[in-house]
Amino acid sequence: MNETYFEQLEETLYHEQLPNGLDVYILPKKGFSKTFVTFSTKYGSIDREFIPLGKTEPVIVPDGIAHFLEHKMFEKEEGDVFQQFSEKGASANAFTSFTKTTYLFSSTDHVLDNTKTLLDFVQQPYFTEETVEKEKGIIGQEITMYDDQPDWRLYFGAIENMYKDHPVKIDIAGTIESIDKITADHLYECYHTFYHPSNMTVFVVGAVNPQEMMDFIKQDQAAKTFEAPQEIQRFFPTEQTNVAFSERSLQMDVQKPKVIYGIKATNTDISGEEMLNFELAMQVAVELLFGRTSTFYQDVYEKGLIDESYSADFSMEKGYGFTMIGSDTVNAEQLVEKIKQSIQSFAKEGQFTEEDLKRVTRKKIGFFLRALNSIEYIANQFTRYSFNDMNLFDVVPALENLKLEQVMQALESLKDEQTHTVFTVVPFEKNGNE
Amino acid sequence: MFQQFELAQGVKLYVRPTEQFKTINISFKWKQQLTEEQAAIRAVLANVLQYSNAEYETNADFRKRLDDLYGAVLYFDTGKKGAHHIFSLNAETVNDAYLSNEKVVDEVFNLLHTVLFKPRLVDGKFVDSIVTREKDQVVERIQSMYDDKTRYAQQRLLENIRPNHPASISANGTVKAVKAVTNEQLVAMHQTILTEDNLSIYIVGDVNVEEIKEKIASHFPFTARSKELSNDVQAANASTENGFLHEIQDMKQGKLHTAYRTPITFFSEEFPVMQMTNGILGGFSHSKIFMNVREKESMAYYASSSYASLYGLIFVLAGIDANLQEKAVKLIDEQLKTMQEGNITDLEINQTKSMLSNQLKEAMDSARAQIEIYDQYKELNESFTVEDWVAKWSTVTKEQISQMAQKIEKEFVYFLSGKEGEGNE
Repeated sequence: MNETYFEQLEETLYHEQLPNGLDVYILPKKGFSKTFVTFSTKYGSIDREFIPLGKTEPVIVPDGIAHFLEHKMFEKEEGDVFQQFSEKGASANAFTSFTKTTYLFSSTDHVLDNTKTLLDFVQQPYFTEETVEKEKGIIGQEITMYDDQPDWRLYFGAIENMYKDHPVKIDIAGTIESIDKITADHLYECYHTFYHPSNMTVFVVGAVNPQEMMDFIKQDQAAKTFEAPQEIQRFFPTEQTNVAFSERSLQMDVQKPKVIYGIKATNTDISGEEMLNFELAMQVAVELLFGRTSTFYQDVYEKGLIDESYSADFSMEKGYGFTMIGSDTVNAEQLVEKIKQSIQSFAKEGQFTEEDLKRVTRKKIGFFLRALNSIEYIANQFTRYSFNDMNLFDVVPALENLKLEQVMQALESLKDEQTHTVFTVVPFEKNGNE
Repeated sequence: MFQQFELAQGVKLYVRPTEQFKTINISFKWKQQLTEEQAAIRAVLANVLQYSNAEYETNADFRKRLDDLYGAVLYFDTGKKGAHHIFSLNAETVNDAYLSNEKVVDEVFNLLHTVLFKPRLVDGKFVDSIVTREKDQVVERIQSMYDDKTRYAQQRLLENIRPNHPASISANGTVKAVKAVTNEQLVAMHQTILTEDNLSIYIVGDVNVEEIKEKIASHFPFTARSKELSNDVQAANASTENGFLHEIQDMKQGKLHTAYRTPITFFSEEFPVMQMTNGILGGFSHSKIFMNVREKESMAYYASSSYASLYGLIFVLAGIDANLQEKAVKLIDEQLKTMQEGNITDLEINQTKSMLSNQLKEAMDSARAQIEIYDQYKELNESFTVEDWVAKWSTVTKEQISQMAQKIEKEFVYFLSGKEGEGNE
């Protein structure tokens, strides 16, 4: 078992890669009563074209299948896995993102029993045509629920505007039509390809004895048999640099317009240290230009162009990334104009200084230290960093070493208007017969 | 779990020294009777005090100062609890121990003093342009609820069953009440908060109790004020037995919200039994409603119940195919009925005990949750501990739960959906 001590944070991380390829990380936290265990596969909604395990030809599977698979993992021949977790006082959950699927539980007692339940249910698939059909109703309701959420439609509208071919533009849950095509065979094919231990990570954080937990997981895995690991081949279309649409809008039953100004990132095919530095430089750049202490924010707030829904951030995964500035607004056109001006004018001599950089990095370090109080935050973030060959605990030193020059480069990358897009959700036009 | 000190009549300090967190959490909570008008004034005041003060003219200046203090968090907030409106000021700061040669904690106390005691007044009034804009912000916050169909449906349900009652009055007031707020009212309310409102101060973190007591006393000269407010919530002003209301909006899903009344409240002896009862009915993913409405019938993505114990109300919420409303109502009715008839398994009881205790124990891993839970449970017993409460659930029996279920009465069904047939795609 490898042991890494992070002096500044006073945290020790334990790691071992098991013979079947499974990565296990354990982070004990003093003073906490609960333990959080996550079991994640590097498989999300964007993995729609790949060569199935043991085959030679690529296939394209129906949209929404990673999320559908996540739902179906909970149902077993003997019943629902939630029942088992409840008996041992564990809250269980799962979520699917663009790039990963995570199963997790948290509990204050029976942690090893619950870990066993987690490992077993994720590693023992059980799908029948009948149970697959039944799930379509539940997921159908989930899709309709999201369809009624203007903020979700706004977010996806902005992504669809940015990406022409990359599957990040496809809704994680798919559509009612696409999930209708899903069969038990599809699920098994995706399962066997992406749920091999060598494509997965277990992360344990909280009240845990690291040696005991590591031994327990090792023993469990040694008693199970898996096929020989195989490099997974996934295929992604080449995405153009420019946005697919520079402006679109959608009418919904909302009180006032909602807008997202999106900027598509280039240079996203990176990982490890390069990704960590790029991501942090972009986040700092966005904070300087659009954060709550920026001249931009002060201006649009005082003019009443934004409200408490305002947000500005940068996010990425390998292969895609974007900056989004968004708010509910009484005047989307004016707000968009202000955002454009702000981007074009940043380069003026000396607008951002070392002092600004220091302030923003301090803020981010403080945020990070606060976040380390939250076992949920650590559990949710750690695997995301790990899947991108980064370490969550490198964030503070990387921020401390961040150079103004890197931030200025990041700012420069925001300037190309061909990578900009505007998506708005607007109220229905009143036509008098309501 | 907290050490208590009475700083003055009606001003209490609760401290929980712990090495569990890398930060220190501070919370001031001022309590007053909840009315629409007062809620509106207090919501606007929170925004105005947040925006500027005598030392930091703009919010950007103030935030820059917070950023320098390692992104310290400092914000006003409003909320409600039973019959009371809670005006709060919260802060979270990195503990100096994790930084070399820094005095962040003292600086945060200075800032807390500034935002409270040094408002930016011109001729004894707040700046009019700021008041106008912050009123708009609160109005927009209230209106944004319309865009969130679940919140909207719940609010409509409450307005129908408990009009002009603390259960339905928002901690932000109403659009009309906020628009009517005057500058003079804000100034007066600020004084009321400083000198008259019952106040609880909470501190959680790696602190020295004596030092922190001194810091609080020297930074915040709060004087004596009225003692505890009564916890009584007025009775329902109208009976809406078996009410039903269907409203239409442009949407795809159907939001089915059902209200039940019960004489058992947070202050009742049987409260822990009702927590178990609600848990079995719909509080968890092993509960009857989840298992039958979602898992068995596949007719919902979410379906659960919640117990608003301060108001003696239970709500069942489900997001359903709009064409299946009648079937869903029937299924939900059946779940309660079967409990009233005593169809409760040992497994369900054990699962619910485990989940309730896990939930409460887990909450102790967050400083903010420690404050919120204690702030609530101290009303019953100032020496509240998690272990004592878990013990109360452990003795609950099937018969007690069944009897409790009989004390749950269906009162109103509210259904929000798209135009007829539109949910059917």
